[in-house]
Amino acid sequence: MSTINWLFEINFAIFSIFFVLFVSELMGGVLLLVAYDATKAKVLPYLVPIWEVTGTFAAFWVVTGDFAYPSMLWPLANILAGLILVFLILFVLRNASITFAELLLKGGRISEKRLYQLFGLATLGIAVAVLVVLSAVVSGAGVDLANLSFSLWGWVTNPGSLPYLLGVVFIAVGLAPVFYDIAPLRRLSVPFTVAGVAVEAGALYLYSASFLSGYFLIPAVLTVLASVMYQFRATAALVTNKLVFAIVGTVIVFSLSYLVYPTAFGGAIAVDDVTTKGPMVGAFYVLSAVGAVVVGLLMAFYMVTVRHASRTPGVPASAAPVGPAAHNP
Amino acid sequence: MSGIVDFDRFLFAFTIGSHILLVSLSIGMSILICVSEFLLARTKNKYYGGLVRRLVRPFVVSFGIGTASGIVMAVELVNLFPRFMTLVSSTGVIAIFYVEIFAFFIETIFLVIYVYYGNTFKGTYTRWALTVPIMVGTLLSAVLIVMVNAWMNTPNGFDIGAYVASGSSYSVTGVNPWAPFLTTSTGYEVFHVLGSVPLTGVMLIGGFFAYRYLRSPTADEKALFLTGLRLTVALALVLVVMSILAGALEIDGLWQYQPEKYAAIELNPTPGTNLPMTLFGTVVGTSIVGGLQIPGLQGFLEGGKMMPGLSQFSQSTWPPLIIHEAFDVMLIGGALLGLFVFVYGALWLAKRRPFDKPLLAYLFLAFSALTATVMELGWMVDELGRQPWIVYNTLSVADAANNSNALLGPGVVIIIGYSFLVPFTFWFMDRVFRGKPIAVDLTGPAGGEDVNY
Repeated sequence: MSTINWLFEINFAIFSIFFVLFVSELMGGVLLLVAYDATKAKVLPYLVPIWEVTGTFAAFWVVTGDFAYPSMLWPLANILAGLILVFLILFVLRNASITFAELLLKGGRISEKRLYQLFGLATLGIAVAVLVVLSAVVSGAGVDLANLSFSLWGWVTNPGSLPYLLGVVFIAVGLAPVFYDIAPLRRLSVPFTVAGVAVEAGALYLYSASFLSGYFLIPAVLTVLASVMYQFRATAALVTNKLVFAIVGTVIVFSLSYLVYPTAFGGAIAVDDVTTKGPMVGAFYVLSAVGAVVVGLLMAFYMVTVRHASRTPGVPASAAPVGPAAHNP
Repeated sequence: MSGIVDFDRFLFAFTIGSHILLVSLSIGMSILICVSEFLLARTKNKYYGGLVRRLVRPFVVSFGIGTASGIVMAVELVNLFPRFMTLVSSTGVIAIFYVEIFAFFIETIFLVIYVYYGNTFKGTYTRWALTVPIMVGTLLSAVLIVMVNAWMNTPNGFDIGAYVASGSSYSVTGVNPWAPFLTTSTGYEVFHVLGSVPLTGVMLIGGFFAYRYLRSPTADEKALFLTGLRLTVALALVLVVMSILAGALEIDGLWQYQPEKYAAIELNPTPGTNLPMTLFGTVVGTSIVGGLQIPGLQGFLEGGKMMPGLSQFSQSTWPPLIIHEAFDVMLIGGALLGLFVFVYGALWLAKRRPFDKPLLAYLFLAFSALTATVMELGWMVDELGRQPWIVYNTLSVADAANNSNALLGPGVVIIIGYSFLVPFTFWFMDRVFRGKPIAVDLTGPAGGEDVNY
């Protein structure tokens, strides 16, 4: 009887939350890039407070990953060294641009619009870097495990890579109007989401036929369902609720865990073999339990505050359960 | 591939050197915001309210950029020194990083609530209560990362002998996941950081206040900066005493747990009981050349105990002797800083109004820069003093480092980027601090009303 690798499950669950938060930022960033004036009223009230929480979840995922897979750090650092530093450069650019945009004084030479768009561009760059890393870890595309090296050209020329990237872009474009409730883009949602899921399925098949298992139906159906529900007044309210969207999104991402478990790098590495063992496992469980309570309470306090803020007379109502209602725009 | 290893060293030193400047400022501001909110709730003095509103803006900037540079540092540790992080992740040290994430969450969530939803909390003591976890989270983050540093200086929690003996297989056995939370040097280092890092932040802000107080055009602005200046001086007086005490305790422990570092810092060519205190100079063979020697002072300060000397150790494990000069400059700078803060505080207590004296204002500004220099030198002494080890007597930097050429290009971009970003961040913080008319800051609503969206 096989046992569950809880370290993997916990780390992947944290990754799923981070990824959903990040994708919500990415969708907002892209909207700011292409239609700043038309979308800022819907996008910025969500984006401005949440980007700090996304960064914290990123660190949470990285640290639990370090904890769970110590023996993978040496090969990963060698294989992905350059790509990781590129990610860091873009991450600094992301934080700097949005921080300066938030507090920029009016009338200067740089406008907040340009800075928010720079944030969108940096987030897009991070997304590409993260997706390249993730697909390399899933499929082994571009990775030479024997020599601990990575070839971007090798990744690009793998038949699954570009469709994989394109599929994610289509899905993000399709779900952005849903998440930010951009009614004029409503009709784009279903075609882009369906096309994205189809292209993604093709990409996974091109990577390896085994990736296209029955499990793929869970994220595929839920993703398309979100865009379909947005088309109808009765159900649109539910899918545009950011908390509901975030929970369903986390389930979607988590359901993709079969792509890296039980084996990663296209079947070359067995996850159980590289997971930490001995007394460190107990410490991981204890700290994760404490962490779940601490982070859970903090997030609950955050959501209660936001809810309370949106109901406080005299305070502008937020468009979303996680919007900064306390501000005077 | 020692060139790449040296590049790894430099890149990490550069990023952490920049990061600690931002962090010390963040910690200083979090303390000042918390104390000001409390005094506002207690006294209803509008200048504390003005101070809070003005400090929150640069604090958000410092937090945003500091978070980025903190994550850069954390990921760089994996990327530049993967063997080190493999050891960290195989032992309880990773548990310290894990707890650090919770401290980071506390700081982030309360900051977001306080800054962006502050208006929804009407009670003044409630608003103050929100700033307490921000300050605690910020300080706790610094404390936890210093606990990792303490473990690097005095490792424990696994079978070190077996690890070293296992050679290139780097086999980790006998793990106790909780032991790294308390090593031989943890208490000394944590106490030291709790004094010196907030002191740096508070002095940097105090120097800014002293300068701006003199240049303020209106009575309200003068009153606001004077309020801030008094707070920073009061805090600096306490923190200076803590730092002096912590420094003395740490040096007293150092000769026991890192004797090579101690011998290099004190420039002791040979061990002895009645050694001189040497300022500057260098070692040639077993003699000191140049510098100023104060006979018997080191022996006196250490109570006549047998102190270590460099001759006891293989020259291959000596740290770079530049740490002796760095330590001397730090010591002299720290002593002058302490003297300045005490004199300034004494003049204030004697109602001699030091705030109005231009010379003292410029001196305050100069000493705030000196505090930052002293802190950076202290960090240099600690890190260079452990060389060639990344984990003392266990894992060398050369063995831990990443030799990949792929690091060079992006690494250079990071260095160039930081060279612009850090000074720009300081300039921007000054801009946003003074961005609103004083009347608005003294009467405006609390919360994140300044955010652009």
